[in-house]
Amino acid sequence: MKQIYDMVIIGGGPAGYTAALYAARAGLKTVVLEKLSAGGQMAETSQIDNYPGFDEGIDGFELAEKMQQQAERFGAESEFAEVTALRLDGQVKEIDTDEGTFYGRTLVIATGANPRKLNLPGEKALIGRGVHYCAACDGMRYKGKTVAVIGGGNSAAADAMILSRIAKKVIIVHRRNTLRATKVYHEPLMNAPNVEFRWNSEAVQLLSDGKLTGVITRNVNTGEEFELPCDGIFISIGRAPATELAAGQLPLDASGYLIAGESTETAIPGVFAVGDVRTKELRQVVTAVADGAMAVHQAEKYLAKTDFGEKVTEKLAKV
Amino acid sequence: MAARDINYEQFRSIAENGQTVLVDFWAPWCSYCRRIAPAYDKIAAQYEGEILAAKVNIDEEPRLAQQEMIEVIPTLVLYRGGVAIGSIVAPESKAMIDEFIRESLGK
Repeated sequence: MKQIYDMVIIGGGPAGYTAALYAARAGLKTVVLEKLSAGGQMAETSQIDNYPGFDEGIDGFELAEKMQQQAERFGAESEFAEVTALRLDGQVKEIDTDEGTFYGRTLVIATGANPRKLNLPGEKALIGRGVHYCAACDGMRYKGKTVAVIGGGNSAAADAMILSRIAKKVIIVHRRNTLRATKVYHEPLMNAPNVEFRWNSEAVQLLSDGKLTGVITRNVNTGEEFELPCDGIFISIGRAPATELAAGQLPLDASGYLIAGESTETAIPGVFAVGDVRTKELRQVVTAVADGAMAVHQAEKYLAKTDFGEKVTEKLAKV
Repeated sequence: MAARDINYEQFRSIAENGQTVLVDFWAPWCSYCRRIAPAYDKIAAQYEGEILAAKVNIDEEPRLAQQEMIEVIPTLVLYRGGVAIGSIVAPESKAMIDEFIRESLGK
């Protein structure tokens, strides 16, 4: 006999575990599928100062553990499982993972977002060996060394600021001829003695001898290529929603986020998208947790009006 | 059973008695190492009796980290009879650790 959950939640970040908390408290049989550990992006932020209720701020990993424990206190389950495929066409949603298939009357997609990659050959193999996506996390390693920051938006500028206080030299490689970041960053970076700019340039190749040794940049106007020797690069070109599983089954917006409004309802009834993976104006822990609560509210309405009687039993008898 | 920290001497003695051991080289300041820890404990329980899952804090055991040429953390190394038979840097999921163990043992 297959176990059918009332709600299967993919992703154990703040949105996922808030959905789990609300669902478990509403008496829904709930499981969170998480591939690594609770918290998602939040778990790698050592100090969160904009989540209300923690006057001294709180470590993101610790906050994630608390959210998980809180949901589990009311009966939500957690499984270490990496989802490999979704089947959303039936009334019972089927979720294939490395730990077997899970079945849910409702599905909450809370897969979040990851740093956008350059998608250059060798990039993946060099992660942690000179290729990084978070200056606050990995910057300390480059004390007295030369690093490049790829990107020109707010997070690239913030990364460059952090690195300028650690590294010997920071080179910002940006596609345009001016930073896209807000004005507050421009002056300090322009005035920093160890920050240089390589304008109108994009990274086209990574150089390595097992560890990163440099990067080839190309001038977007002239096509001319230059070698830029460095010990590390910090890629800061935005975030990409983790929508591989849903692609082709659920509509995505132009930036690749799952289309769902404030109600978190997707194009498929009973399937909800919460947190950073959803189209939204502001991606924060507080907006993610709000989504989690909303999804359960909508799921309860959906379950109340959906007949999960004989048809489901019939379908599962065939499984 | 949670994975336990071992020191240089314990590492040597495990190597000498030929046990298959998985070592997670980590440090308290490494945020991604922390993210792996819950999955690693699960791995330790899952493979109990077959593989000993241990951890080495590279801040406390710099000699061991240097000897094993650990340059980035978290790095997981699988040893059989004291010989490294495979390693993986910063695995993205518990499933990836499982796959790494299966592939390394299959060699």
